[in-house]
Amino acid sequence: MPDDATNRTGPSRLVLVLKDIHFWVPMAVLMGGLLLLRFIH
Amino acid sequence: MQGTAARDFSEQTQKAARARSLQILGVLCGLTAGAWLGAAEAPTKLVTIGISPMVISLIMVIGVFLARWSLPALVMGTSSVRADVGRAPHLVLWALLAGCLWAVANTLAIFAIRDIGLSIAFPLWNSNSLLGILWGFLFFNELRQAGWRRWMGVVGGAAMMCAGAAVLATASAAEAPRSAHSLNGVWAALGAGILWGTMYIPYRKAYLTGMNPLAFVTFFTFGELGMMTGLAVAYTGIGPLWAELLNARAVMFWLMLGGFIWVIGDLFQQYAAKYVGISRGIPLSNTNQLWGLLWGVLVFGELRGKGSGAYAEVVGGSLLMMLGVGAIALSSATGEEQTHWREAAERESARYGVPTDYVEARLDGRRAASEVRPRRSLLDWLLVAAATSVLLGFALMARVPEFSFRWGPAAVLTIVTLFLLLVCGERLWRTTRFH
Repeated sequence: MPDDATNRTGPSRLVLVLKDIHFWVPMAVLMGGLLLLRFIH
Repeated sequence: MQGTAARDFSEQTQKAARARSLQILGVLCGLTAGAWLGAAEAPTKLVTIGISPMVISLIMVIGVFLARWSLPALVMGTSSVRADVGRAPHLVLWALLAGCLWAVANTLAIFAIRDIGLSIAFPLWNSNSLLGILWGFLFFNELRQAGWRRWMGVVGGAAMMCAGAAVLATASAAEAPRSAHSLNGVWAALGAGILWGTMYIPYRKAYLTGMNPLAFVTFFTFGELGMMTGLAVAYTGIGPLWAELLNARAVMFWLMLGGFIWVIGDLFQQYAAKYVGISRGIPLSNTNQLWGLLWGVLVFGELRGKGSGAYAEVVGGSLLMMLGVGAIALSSATGEEQTHWREAAERESARYGVPTDYVEARLDGRRAASEVRPRRSLLDWLLVAAATSVLLGFALMARVPEFSFRWGPAAVLTIVTLFLLLVCGERLWRTTRFH
């Protein structure tokens, strides 16, 4: 494993983020929250 | 050969002692967070004039924004924040996401209180601790190989705290509002709980990757303020919002002060999430309801005129909450579970190419050998001075409303809260140097 972040090879950070379930679960919950807010208002 | 074995044994003993010390620190941080988050309610109780809940929330978030930049600048310096973000820039996205989640959850909570009252709303969104346990287990290897006793301690303790919260909320609530939108209120409260419970996914991810909580909150607050401003503008309109803000000039200081105190509590909550995980950290900091009630009953005389039944509910609910806290505090993570935490941290380090020595050191609550010692610069002092000036400016405009206030209990609660800050802050400094 590379020891320095700048020496990383492979997919870009953005691609890694977009493939990360830790990103999509909070994002889905946020979207659901905004929809709920719109609905109850 | 014998020397090597002895050295290995000594290293393992030292590691175990360090892990135990960090667990105790995490529990202490959770309890201190509860005290400060509860105390943050006190200044807001001084606000009695008719301001809309959305505007109250927005003004508090402005105070929060000031604190989230000035406190990290004062404690570590912005150079440390920059260095942390440089190592793991992807986490800025999670910090913004978490801030947005907080703002939407807070707004939903306001609607829930309006529609179904605090007594039903609070226990519903307090279930966020149970969701935190689920996310911690699923995503960050928390409670893996923890044994049934620890499972019972954490899940049972969190459930007991929810039950205690329900009893306390019933006792402390004024007459529940009768609303034509009660079902909406239930949905809003459940939604707030789900959003708050999910907000801890970004927290835990950041701290397993090594980011300092002081660095994380500086970006979190952009999400928080941005989303809150967007919601306030969308639901109130720019003109009416501005008019309400001007109208609230005299009480803005108290709300901003509430936000400032809230940030101190939240910082300890972040350290609790880092050192005991979200499954234990969330329920421990949910003790804020107990402290909020103490302020309400002892200082503002909120139960005055209520029968002995209300006091019995307060005592019973508090005891239940304290039993739950005790069960969680005594269920700290064992060696096997911590090995799984480290595996989750290694996974994050490998995925995003964050230096392993940095991740390991931060997980252990220390600075990596490759890191430069944080220093404060002129910029940091300017940030502190600017935040102080803004608060002082609003303090000069503030009026102290006519209010029934008991100075004796207020002094005792203030001393206890400051004592917790000093003890926990000193331990945090001595053990981790705020890492």
